[in-house]
Parts: sequence; C-alpha cells; structure tokens
Amino acid sequence: MSTLLEVSGVSVSFDGFKAINNLSFQIGSAELRAVIGPNGAGKTTFMDIVTGKTRPDEGRVIWGEKSMNLLKMSEAKIAQAGVGRKFQRPTVFEDQSVFDNLLMALKKDRGPVEVLFYKRSGEDITRVEEMASQIGLQEQLHRTSGELSHGQKQWLEIGMLLAQEPRLLLVDEPAAGMTLAEREHTTDLLREAAKTRAVVVVEHDMEFVRRLNCKVTVLHEGSVLAEGSIDHVTKDPQVIEVYLGR
Amino acid sequence: MNRSFFAKNPSVLIFIGCLALFTLGVTLLSEAFGTGVISTSFVKTLGKTLCLCLIAIAMDLVWGYCGILSLGHFAFFGLGGYMIGMWLMYARTAQIVTTSMAEADIPPTAQEVTDAIGNQIFGVVGGSDFPLIWSFADSLTIQLAFVVLVPGALALVFGWLAFRSRVTGVYLSILTQAMTLALSLYLFQNDSGLRGNNGLSGLQNIPGAEDIPQSVISLYFFWASALALMLGYLLAAWVVSGKFGSVIRGIRDDEARVRFLGYSVEGYKLFVFTLTAVIAAIAGALYYPQAGIINPAEIAPIASIYLAVWVAIGGRGRIYGAVIGAAVVSLLSSWFTGGQVPSINLGFYTINWVDWWLVLLGFSFVLVTLFAPQGIGGLFDQLVRNRATPQRGGAPLGPDASALQEKEADK
Amino acid sequence: MTNRLTTLCMAIAMLLTGLCAAIAQDRDIPSILQEHAAIIAKGSRKTIEPAIVDLRDSGQVDAQMVLEAWQAKELWQRKADGQFFTTTKNEDNSYTLFDVITGSEVGTADKKELKQIKPNSGIRGMIGAALVQFQLMDADPAKRLDALTAIDRDPNPTHLPALRAAIDAEPDADIKETKIRLERLLTIAYGADEAERVAAIESFSDALSVDVRAKLNPILATTRVATATKSTANIAAQLTPGTDLSKEDAYALLVAADLAPAAPTQDEIRLALGDNIIDGRVGGQPIATLNTIEGREFAYEALADDGLVPPLVTADEMQWAIEDHLFYDVYDEPSKAVTDAAETTLQSINTRVGFNQALDLGLDGLSLASIYFLAAIGLAITFGVMGVINMAHGEFIMMGAYTGYVVQQFITDYTLSIIVALPLAFGVTFAAGVAMERLVIRHLYHRPLETLLATFGISVALQQIAKNIFGTQARPLTSPAWLDGAWVLNDVVSISYIRIAIFVLALIFLTLLLFILNKTRLGLEVRAVTQNPRMAASMGINPDKINMLTFGLGSGIAGIAGVAIGLFAKVTSELGSDYIVQSFMTVVVGGVGNIWGTLAGATMIGGLQKGIEFLNPSNTLAAQTYMIIFIIIFIQFRPRGIIALKGRAAGD
Repeated sequence: MSTLLEVSGVSVSFDGFKAINNLSFQIGSAELRAVIGPNGAGKTTFMDIVTGKTRPDEGRVIWGEKSMNLLKMSEAKIAQAGVGRKFQRPTVFEDQSVFDNLLMALKKDRGPVEVLFYKRSGEDITRVEEMASQIGLQEQLHRTSGELSHGQKQWLEIGMLLAQEPRLLLVDEPAAGMTLAEREHTTDLLREAAKTRAVVVVEHDMEFVRRLNCKVTVLHEGSVLAEGSIDHVTKDPQVIEVYLGR
Repeated sequence: MNRSFFAKNPSVLIFIGCLALFTLGVTLLSEAFGTGVISTSFVKTLGKTLCLCLIAIAMDLVWGYCGILSLGHFAFFGLGGYMIGMWLMYARTAQIVTTSMAEADIPPTAQEVTDAIGNQIFGVVGGSDFPLIWSFADSLTIQLAFVVLVPGALALVFGWLAFRSRVTGVYLSILTQAMTLALSLYLFQNDSGLRGNNGLSGLQNIPGAEDIPQSVISLYFFWASALALMLGYLLAAWVVSGKFGSVIRGIRDDEARVRFLGYSVEGYKLFVFTLTAVIAAIAGALYYPQAGIINPAEIAPIASIYLAVWVAIGGRGRIYGAVIGAAVVSLLSSWFTGGQVPSINLGFYTINWVDWWLVLLGFSFVLVTLFAPQGIGGLFDQLVRNRATPQRGGAPLGPDASALQEKEADK
Repeated sequence: MTNRLTTLCMAIAMLLTGLCAAIAQDRDIPSILQEHAAIIAKGSRKTIEPAIVDLRDSGQVDAQMVLEAWQAKELWQRKADGQFFTTTKNEDNSYTLFDVITGSEVGTADKKELKQIKPNSGIRGMIGAALVQFQLMDADPAKRLDALTAIDRDPNPTHLPALRAAIDAEPDADIKETKIRLERLLTIAYGADEAERVAAIESFSDALSVDVRAKLNPILATTRVATATKSTANIAAQLTPGTDLSKEDAYALLVAADLAPAAPTQDEIRLALGDNIIDGRVGGQPIATLNTIEGREFAYEALADDGLVPPLVTADEMQWAIEDHLFYDVYDEPSKAVTDAAETTLQSINTRVGFNQALDLGLDGLSLASIYFLAAIGLAITFGVMGVINMAHGEFIMMGAYTGYVVQQFITDYTLSIIVALPLAFGVTFAAGVAMERLVIRHLYHRPLETLLATFGISVALQQIAKNIFGTQARPLTSPAWLDGAWVLNDVVSISYIRIAIFVLALIFLTLLLFILNKTRLGLEVRAVTQNPRMAASMGINPDKINMLTFGLGSGIAGIAGVAIGLFAKVTSELGSDYIVQSFMTVVVGGVGNIWGTLAGATMIGGLQKGIEFLNPSNTLAAQTYMIIFIIIFIQFRPRGIIALKGRAAGD
C-alpha cells in the first residue's frame, strides 16, 4: 500500500501560540484513519493545513505518486488534486436544490468558461441520481437543501464529497448531532468509501471511533501522542492521562 | 431534467414580451412615428432609463448573485460613455472644422486640420494638442472596441488585484469605492486629457446624421437601448440559470465551501466582475449619446451607491427585480426632482419635493432594507408563486457577509 | 541717562557725516535749488533726477526738510525770481512766505505771483527714496525701521554708502543687526569690487530666508546667446542644439543675433501663397496641391525664385547654420568669482531649505494625520467592535460642525462657544448614533453589506436635511482669536495654531480612548465583545448595551472631529462626505479594531497625501488619485491593514 499523503515536521503558530508543533502524519491510498484528541489538540488546524486554508510556518506536505507539494497550491487546486473536506457544521448550499448541490460537486472541469458552457448530459444526471440514492436522498432530489433535516444535510455533504471523487477524504465530526440509526448509516458510508480511497475522520466520540474499527492517531498539543489500533491507544498511559482519564 | 432554457425561466419570455410591448407603445406615441403624445425629451428619458436598467442587471449579477457589493460599476458605465463620447466629439468637431476651413484660399494641410480640431476641443482647458489617449478617436470601430476593452481591462486589473488578496465583504466595497473616487478625481483634472470637469459635450449630435431630426434619432437610440437591455437580460438569465449560476450563488453564500469543492473562487469572481463591467460600459455607451454630455461628476462614488440602492429596492438576486428597481427609482427620482410633484403645505412649513425627495428616498431605502429585504421583486414572487422555502428562523443561508438571507430566498 | 548719551552720540555722528559731506561738496541748499529751479518747476519725472540727487548728496542736514516739504507739496516758487518758499494762506487770499531752511518769515505775495510745486507720484517716490538715507539716522526707531524696509523693497546703489554710514551709530541692537544684514545684502548687488561681493555672498551660506535667495537668484540669471566664435563672457553652460535646446530655438537665436536669415514660418508661407494666387494657381502650382507642407514649399520656392517673397530656408540650411555657431547660456553678471560664490552659497542654502521643507512637510503631514485620526477613530471603533461600516459617519462629522455653528449664534464669545460646542457636539452625535443603532443597525447584525447600504440611506437623508435647514452656502465656524496666526519657526517652517490645537485634541482622544479601552470596565467589555461576542454574552456581558455605547462613542467622537474640522474648513452639508473616503482608507490601511492601527493608518495617509502634494503641488486632485492607487496596491501586501488581528480570531 503506497503512501498517499505525507505530512512531516509541520509547525504553525498563531500569535505565539503553537497550534501545531512538529507534526508528522502519513496515510495510504486506501485506508480509514481516525484522528482523536482533546479540544485544542490541533485537529482542525491539521485539516486546514492539508486543504491549504492555513499556511504552516515550517514543514512539508507531500501528496500522491508524483510527490506534489501541497503547500504551494491554492485551496481549489488541492481540492482538484483529490482532497475532499467535510466541515464540522454541515455546509451545503441551502438556497439551491439537492440536485444542484450534487451537480456542482460532480467531478468535472472547474474552469469558469467550461462551467459557463456546461450542458448537463444524461450521464451526469444518472451519476447524480445514483449518488442521491447512495446517501438516501433520491426522494428529496428537487427540494431546496435548506429544508432538509440536520442529518440529511450531513449526508448530502458526504454525498457531495463522494461526487467529487476525491482520493483523500477529510471528515470533521461526521456523527455530531445524529441519531443512532443515522450514525450507523454514516459509519457504513465511511467504511464503504475507505475501500477505494483514504479517509481521515476527526472525531470526539470514542464509541463512534470504535465502530469504525480502524487505525487511530491521537493528537495532543499539536503533535502525535500515539498511533495504533483503538485498543492499543486506549491502553497507552499518556493517552489515558491527557484524554481518556479526565 | 433537460427542459429548454425558456421553459425553465418563464420570466425571460414575460420580460421580453413586456419590453417589446413597451417599445412598440413608445414608438406609436412618439413624435417621430406616431401621435406625438410622448415628447422627444421624454423618449430620451425613457431610453436612458432602459440603459440604467441594463447596468442594474449587471449590478444584480455581481452583487445579487455573486455577493460582491461593487461600489464602482458606474465608473465602468462612465468610461464606456467617455469612449464613445470621444469619437462623437472628435468626428463632429472634425466636420465643423473641415467645413469652415474649406472656405480658406489655400487648402489646409492635415496637420492644420488636426490642430484646429484640437484647439476646438481642448481650448476650454487651455490646450490644443491631442493627448495620447485620443490617438484613435477618429475611428468609430476602434472607439467602439474601446467601449468594451478599456473598462474590461480596468475591471480585470482591479479585480485581479482585489480578489487575489482575498479582500471580501465591506473591505471590497470600500476598495471599489476608492477606485471609483480615484478615477473621477483623475478625470476632474484639466490635464487628464478628457477636458477635466467640462467633460465631453454635444454628444447628442451624431456625425453624419445631421439631416435626421432629433426626434427620430432619439427613437433609434431608444430601440438600441431596448435591444441591448433584452440581450443583456437574456445573457444574465442564461449565465445564472446553469451550473455557473449555481457556483456563483454558492460563492455568495459560502465562499470557502466552493473553494473546497475545487472551484477557483477568485477566477469566478474576476469573470463575473469583468463581464458585468463590460455590460455596464455598453449601457454607458448607449446612455451618454442620449444624455448629450458626460463629465466626471457622473462617475463619483455616490452614483454607484445609488445603483446598489436601485437593485436593493427592486430585489436583488432576481434579474427582473433589478430592472424594476432601476426603472421605478430613476423615473420617480426624475419626477420628484423635476418639480412636477405638488408641494405639501403643512401650515407651518411647505414640503417642497425638490428639496425633500432625497430625504424621502434615503429613509424609504432604510425601511426597505429593514422590512422588505427582497424588494419589489419579492412582492412579485409572492403573488405569482408559492414555493416551499427554507425555514431557518431568519438566519442567513451562508456564513459569508453577502450570503442570502432567508427572507430574500423566498422565491 | 543712556538715552541721552545715545542721542548725543547720534547727534555727533550726524554732525560728523554731515561735515564730511560738506567738505566734499561745498554747496548750500538754496544754490542747489536755484540751479535746478527750472526742472523742479517743470516737474517731469524724466528730468528731475539731478535735482533730487544734488539735494540728497548735498550733505546738508536741512536737505531732508526741504525734500520732505517738496514731497508734501508744500514748496512754492515765486514767479518773479524763481525762489522757493514754504507758505501759509492768509485771510485775504494772499500768502505769507517763509524761508525753506530757517523758517523765518520773508514776506507776503499774492497767489498770482506764486506757483505751487506739485510733484507727481513718480517724483514723490524718487524723493522718498532719497529721503531714506536721512531716515536711516532718524531719532525715532520706528522711522529707521521703515527706512530699512523701504530700502529692502526697492534698493539702489546709493543706499549702500548711506547704510554703511548709518551702522556704527545705531544704538538699538536689533535694528543694528537688521542694518548689517541689509548692508550685506546690498553689498551682494552693489559692492565695489569682486572680493567684497564674494565675501558678502559667502556670509549668507547658512541663511534660509527668502530675501537672500531673492538677492542671489538674479546674480545667476542667464541669457541665451548664439555666437560665431568662442565666447569670452561669463559662461554658465555651453548648449548642444538638439539636446539642451531644440533646433528651432537654436535657429531662432541665430536669427535674433542676425547670424542667419529669418526662415518663413508655415503661417507666413500660407499667407504669402494666399497673396499670390493667380488664376487658381500659385507659382504655377494648382491650389489643390497646396494641402501638404511639401506642396506649399514647392510653390513657395517658385514664388521666391521670381523674387516675390523672401527665400525659403531649407532644413539642411538650418542645420548648417546651427552647426556653424556656438550656443551659450551666459550669466548677466560678468564676474565669474561672484557667480561661482553665488552658485555655491545658493546650493548650500537650498540644501538647508530642502531640509527645513521636509520638516515643514512633516508637520503638515502630522497635522493632516491628526485630522484623519479624529475623523476615522470613531469609524474604526464601530467597525472593529461591531463589524459595521457606518456610511453616515461623515454626516455625524457634519452634525458636529453645524452644532458648533449654531452654538456660535447664541454665544458670541468665541472661546466660550468652542468650550460649549465640544461637549454639546459630542452629546448630539452620541444621541444620534445611539438612536441609529437602536432603530436600524441592531436589526441588521451580521449583515454588514446591508448595514452599509442602510446607513448610506441615512447619510443621504441627513445631508439633504442639513441642506434644507442651513442652505447650500458655507457657514463660518470662527475660531477664537488666540488660535489665529501661526507658529513661525523660520521662513520655511510654520504651522498654524489651529492645527496645533487639533493635534493636541487628537492626542487627548488617543490617550482617553486608550485609557477607556484598557483600564475601565467598559473597555474590558468592549474588547471582549470585539474578540468573541458569543462568549462575551455567555459571561454576562450584554452585547446589545456594549454595541449601543460603542456606537454612541464612535459617533460622539465624529461630532468633536466635526467641530475641529469646522474651525479651519467651511461648514457645508458636504463637509462629511469630503472626509469619509479618507476615513475609510485610514481604517482599511490601519487595520480593524485597533486604535494603534488607526493611528498608523492616519499617519501613513496624512503623510502620504502631503508627500504627493509636495511632489506635484499644482494638482491636489492627482495627489488624491495617486494616494488611492497606492492604497489599493498596499492592500495587496497587507490585506488586513498595518496592524492586523492574526490567527483564527481574524476569521475568514
């Protein structure tokens, strides 16, 4: 299994506060990974760095077989290279229909001119409908997405991510605010996705992480504290002290 | 899913129908081709109003759909006017000068003709040499190209600088305002090459059309303005109806999210900004020959803010809203400031509307912003359709400063 | 005691100089008057000079009295013998005659026998100049100073010896210094020899003042000449035609010096052609071919060959003529030593003047910066705390200025009225700000663009209301007398007291705001709301109240800024909009939500504007254009201003 993303020696500070401190992280091309850590451990900042939102003070972020340097690319270029991100709060375009949301996410040319002269083909429509049924929203396809329930919005956002066909999925607290049944569905979606691509899940909820049944990275004060299976890290005394033992 | 463009946008057909009827009506009532109920000067006013509707469409695209509150689109409008005005003024002065010089004993040299034209045009600012920017003023084709190219290039450069540094929201508005102010202050100078605060005048006289009476010319321009408005409306409706529209509305509501979907937000903003600048410039190029004069005061930032006011009152985020707003407010404005509205005698004070119209406009604008953010167009929508809308307790539909509000999404 | 002593000294000195002169020119006044009786009576400015000069140089103390009488039209001439007298008119219309010198009565005469000498204003001026040297030694210091001023205004060579003679005896130290300085200045122009003049010039190498420059510059005046041979005059520069001066100018010099024949201009050619039209042809060429320069010259040459017009000078001929001659800038002043000294001295003066101008510019910039700071700080506070741009801020400034104007209608004492107006303006605009916040802005939170437009609506309405109430003409807001005038450091550096007062006012508000924000409970709460409104709310701070107070405070400062601005600018309804864009720029450049940022922004914009105006003084419009362009470019490098919040708190 080849390495898809390699983050090495990354540090970033805001006004003297070190949010990320000499962080190193690797993930393969088809792997599910959970990242856990207490508040302020740098989980979100880590995602910001990978997606290009925040520029680190030092360190390297290398991507893919061609070893591209993500630090030199804009957010849009990084997304086009195959990094998809789901935010903590569901962010879908509430003014637009589920169909439009998914169509916008579909992997196609992203240039303004191409988009301006884009004509939806039958193939694309089929793709969107498939995606909608995968996330269980085929009935809601033509509703305005602002009307959806919280959980449906979460799925729509995951659906949009999948429609992007990314090689790496960064998912920030996907299960927050979901019912038990919705959680099950979400876990299935993520596990299914991880068969063909890398998925990084940032999560607080240990039960949810346990259900994902994957390798776990524990962050603390901006660097990796422990890494391994969920059982391995929950036994680590340092982890217990800073995170579980509270 | 694959319905035709018009089936998806019924408002386009309705609008074109209304515009055609209006044009026909004005033609039949005009002095040139009809009963003469509508005076030539009012035909010009209506023609100018159509141009203002066109620039309002541009403003709606850039603000209502893309979320960029530009306080600078009247700069592009004015530049378009200047570009066509240069040709009009040059060509007409050239005619007059050539005619008067032909009476001399010795035929004039080309240089003498040029000098005389320069003297005629720039004498008022104490010059006679042609500045470099007038190099192509004798060619209608090139000046017409400049109508599109010069404002387009300015928008491209300014937009590139502003968007690449990720200036958004209020900052961006102020920056566009500053650009407009800089341009108008520059043009106010006598050595700007465009006759300082005198501006360009006599633009209603079309060179080569001296035999056609103004009543007919005014109608020609009216038709041209109507045609431009129709094409502008079609273009705007087409741009916002497809995926491109989806993306720019996404940018308005949540710029960061669009970026993480892989769209280069800056590129889209720049595209929309430049496109609307060009539309504004075309509107200006049609407006000023009807107005007859252009001077730097027309470009002052306040004009662009009024433009935003029209669109807001008409209802942003819907193209017909922009048209309605521009037409209603500008016509009302000329009605009130024209002194045709009867004064109200309060006993102790007489309200003279020429003085108090701006106060009324200012406060009604505040009221519209507070109580009817969807504007006049929103009222329309409520009458015509009754579609399910997002219910989010009044919160905005996106985190960005310019995101649509729930009340506005009501369509 | 000292006084008496000095008077005595003066008297002795005068006596001595008088004596010397008397020895030199042993002539008394009556004989001088008689000698020039005819020209005095004629009273023509062209011929009068010898009479005045002889009187002035007579060395007689009484000459002053005579000249003064002459100047005052008190001199009468008896027609019979041409004698001059002063007179008084009697009741029977006859005149009593007095001796011009002694003042003793010498008889009476009828009006018909007399002629009053009425010098015209030109002659009176010449007499005045002649009197200067007497006045230089007048007992009254004020008269001596007047005399010095008169010399300074219109010097001539004869003043120099008079001035030199008057220096040593001068009792007043200040006047003496002025005299010595004036003597140096006159020596530059009229000194007897080169060395003396060079020394005088060099003595001014550390001077600054305008009059020194005015004396030195004419020495360096040059004339452009063309010569056939190498010039021996005092040459400033040799000129190369084509680079230092245009070929046309060079040829014109040759023509002026009669070194080359005049070339007919294009206009002359055209006129000449027009005069020689024969049967629709000129010089055998059809008229239609005359619409190019070549065609015209061809026809003209034909005319010239026939001897009808002066010959054409071709471009080649011009070139040869130019190449055959030398062109110089020649000093009008013949002495090279003097021009060299003047050049060096002027250079050193210019360096010092430049340095002082930079200082003056700095002061100007600082004063403009304090105005911008006052105008913008309220905006910056509301923008920082509430994320709201108040487009009506400029109208609050205007309201403050009008408050000041209204107060002055009731309180006529300007000092008192300003003291009342400042807090009152604060109160009025504070109330207006609070009202606006409660009625409009509160309902538009998190909608900054809508707030911008709604406040714009208010701005339009307020401006028009002010226009309706106060009219369109400017209203004066008069500053107290003690603020008139300026603090003058030297000829170059000066700053008006009003601007100093505004600077002090800005300093006071800077300190006050820093104190409020950093040391008070209100400041703590404001900062909390600025950084995280939700968190602040959950900690028991009422953000609504804080927002209201902040908005009121920001608006109140705008009112005070209005009074300050009104003191030096005319109060009109457009006063606010003149400052609003600069205020926005200040906030944008400085960075949001930070007093120091606003200070930095104001300093930068004020300094920049003055700097650009200095480089391009004729054109303040262009200066503003360039400044805005600069700001747009500046934003590229610091999109969040000079002092920006960093990290996640800044948001995206």
